[in-house]
Amino acid sequence: MIKNKVTFSILLLLIASDMLETTLHLFFKKSALSQSGTSVIDLASAIIFFKGAFLSPYLWAGLATVVMVFIIWSSVLSKIDLSVAVPVASFSYIFVPIASAIFLNEKITLLRWLGILFIIAGVILVSLSSKERELANK
Amino acid sequence: MKEGVLFVLFLVTLTSLCDTINQLFLKSAIDSLNFSLSFNFVKILKFIFQLLLKPRLWLGFAFSVISLCIWLLVLSKADLNFAFSADSMHYIFIALASRFVLKEKVNSLRWVGIIFIIIGITIISFS
Repeated sequence: MIKNKVTFSILLLLIASDMLETTLHLFFKKSALSQSGTSVIDLASAIIFFKGAFLSPYLWAGLATVVMVFIIWSSVLSKIDLSVAVPVASFSYIFVPIASAIFLNEKITLLRWLGILFIIAGVILVSLSSKERELANK
Repeated sequence: MKEGVLFVLFLVTLTSLCDTINQLFLKSAIDSLNFSLSFNFVKILKFIFQLLLKPRLWLGFAFSVISLCIWLLVLSKADLNFAFSADSMHYIFIALASRFVLKEKVNSLRWVGIIFIIIGITIISFS
């Protein structure tokens, strides 16, 4: 059985899990924003904050997304190293600026392109490192 | 204001650590099952069900809930750019934990890739 190799299907699964994870952050941010009236200074206000957050439908939408991400993520982890899966999943940082450029007509600055390039290069290097290991094992 | 930044940094470190512990328990539970990835829906459901029976998975979940609570606090307090770039430190925690706890072979190519990703995330967060 070939293990540890980042195949095309695993990459697709990771991208799907990434997109869901981006959605999830959006939901959680919304639920936190819905509680912006509460400033957390002590335990009592923290309880009020979390009670309010847990009553927000956004939080529950976020949690439903968590379940989907969990199923995909567990499947991926059954196949590859943790130290490969986590860095490769950083693709979500690329999606947000690119999606904002396509759908919101936002301009991607040169600096941001540089960041995107760094992430892509990093993901490629980490993916290659898993292949190198597989060859070494043979 | 300086103290505010330090406090947020502390919270982000805490949530990163909790998340790393969660991933460690998850990965170790998955490895103990010996499941090989297939796209058979029934097989995947069966795998998830078996996974849910592992006590260490729930231990991981507990850390994940703590991590989520802290993260919600961070999001309500901090600038999102700063929070996300600081959160990229969890790639280092994951790599160290994979190396020393799970005994994965993290070679230099992988380290360089991880550092590139952290640089990229920091650039994107602040641009």
